[in-house]
Amino acid sequence: MKRREFLSASVLAGAALTLPRTALAAAPSLKFRDLYSRGRELTDTAKALEGQEIEMIGYMAPPLKPEIDFFVLTKLPMSTCPFCETEAQWPIDIVLAHTSRPVDVVRYTDLIRTRGRFETGFKTDEETGFVSFVRLMDVTYEKL
Amino acid sequence: MKHLMHMMVAGASALAIATPSFAQTVKQAQDSYYVSAQAELQNILALQPNVRKAKNVILFVVDGLSIPTITAARILEGQNRGVDGESNSLAFEKLLPYVALSKTYTHDAQVADSAPTATAMVSGVKSLNGTIGVTQAAQLENCASQKGNEVTTIFELAEQAGLSTGIISTARITHATPAATYAKTAGRDWENDTNLTDEAKANGCKDIASQLIDWPAGNGFEVILGGGRSNFMKADQADPEDATRMGARKDGRDLVAEWQAKYNDASYVWNKEQFDAVSPETTGHLFGLFERSHMQYEHDRPKDTAGEPSISEMTSKAIDVLSKNEEGFVLMVEGGRVDHAHHAGNAYRALTDAIAVAEAVQTAYDKVNPEETLIILTADHSHVFTIAGYPARNNPILGVAGKADDGKPYTTLGYQNGPGAKVDEPRADLTDVDTTDPDFLQQALVPLGESETHAGDDVAIFAQGPWAHLFQGVVEQNLIFHVMAHASDLPTKAALASAAK
Repeated sequence: MKRREFLSASVLAGAALTLPRTALAAAPSLKFRDLYSRGRELTDTAKALEGQEIEMIGYMAPPLKPEIDFFVLTKLPMSTCPFCETEAQWPIDIVLAHTSRPVDVVRYTDLIRTRGRFETGFKTDEETGFVSFVRLMDVTYEKL
Repeated sequence: MKHLMHMMVAGASALAIATPSFAQTVKQAQDSYYVSAQAELQNILALQPNVRKAKNVILFVVDGLSIPTITAARILEGQNRGVDGESNSLAFEKLLPYVALSKTYTHDAQVADSAPTATAMVSGVKSLNGTIGVTQAAQLENCASQKGNEVTTIFELAEQAGLSTGIISTARITHATPAATYAKTAGRDWENDTNLTDEAKANGCKDIASQLIDWPAGNGFEVILGGGRSNFMKADQADPEDATRMGARKDGRDLVAEWQAKYNDASYVWNKEQFDAVSPETTGHLFGLFERSHMQYEHDRPKDTAGEPSISEMTSKAIDVLSKNEEGFVLMVEGGRVDHAHHAGNAYRALTDAIAVAEAVQTAYDKVNPEETLIILTADHSHVFTIAGYPARNNPILGVAGKADDGKPYTTLGYQNGPGAKVDEPRADLTDVDTTDPDFLQQALVPLGESETHAGDDVAIFAQGPWAHLFQGVVEQNLIFHVMAHASDLPTKAALASAAK
């Protein structure tokens, strides 16, 4: 499997910042650091949120192209598109965020609060062939 | 007046015992700061220059360990232990008493990168940014220009002289700092064969990973521990820690297998369990590659998929393997990711990785005879990292220092540039932000999203052991090699060994 075809998520802590709450109504929040216990092993906290609408805070990696309906949510800023840089040393703790409309790009160094339905498990996108392990579906997001 | 000076010196050397007349003269003589400084003075007076030959040399290079990073790490380490951070001391501050400032500029730059600075430390000359193991005559990424301009490193001298050698890095072992011990390349990015330019290939330059395996010095490094596994694996080899990822090499060379075939006393390991199982008594050569790329930050290490040893554990095992050689050893230990965390604008990981190196220095000091081992700790370059404001004593070092003119809080730690800056927007309001969170990015002034930059200010050199006292004043970075060579006499030993063959 080529690097560019694989989008996964694992390990490491997230942008677990206590940030001012805004218009979004309360939903369980999941920090990157609470996503995995070790390697790609999900924590009990993450498993318990499967299928639920949750919030995650992180950074939007530069999208693959304009007019696209997904982006990669990262724990720390990543300046490169994960699909554009085959040799980039991407971490495995990334989350694929599917939006219901074309992504309105936020600079990769600006924190965003995302909200979407939490899905886990390997899944191949029919259109692009990209494989993901952790996803947020029907994502909405706001810049913090 | 001269008489009075003598009296004061005599009084000072009488430990902290203030004589009645002395106490009367100096009213603050019983003040706690005064008393502790008297004790500190006695420690310095007790220092005796060590002029014996150094059997062993250990060079700790903490990539990007600016002086503010040392200060902040010292405070954080103390605060984490529940003691006063400001007066705390890291292990290397206590154990390595001789200190100098190092001028880090390179042959072509005010602000250095890690390639020529490492060359300066291990080979004694300044050179161009982006080049490794070559002199000032070699041009950046011009393979043809490096021919005939390769340098000799202290590690090559050690191998020629019959000593053992080792390199450890928490970054890729093909990254600039460790690469300077063995590689000669006009391009620091030529880490595997696919990184070579057409010009480099046409003129016969080799990638850094292959140079490590093909290193002609003596019988090769006895210890190699770090990250960068993909640079040693073929593109059709799945990574053992993550089967979804492959090796990087497209020249068909399996460098790990080649290394294993060279020795009959060798152990290759790629995870913590294997590392722990290595017996130093029966292992003559140890090769550990614990990540495809860089090893984990110390903060993130517990969650690594297959587990990784700490820099302290690697240092301990390395010394066990290397110290079997009665002739001695030369070891480089690089804390490679202080620099990376700074580039990310993330002070927490920079400081926790710096603290991890301090623990490794303690480990090394405890395992060797410090009287016969020159131990040095330094940085290759600085970072634009600052400690600001007027925070109260014992204020959390990762916390807020005060409020700025915009009415928003600002943190004690910050960066002059980097990912923590907004583009054409006011800075974020940190009022309800936990700035001590491990993932918090300190604010910056100039937006450089991809990477905060190095800085050109001097860095520190700490040392103990034979000839450590030569580190004093403000010195050129490339002096480090010359002190190591003088203390160990390795140029002479290597020449004699060569002549005897």
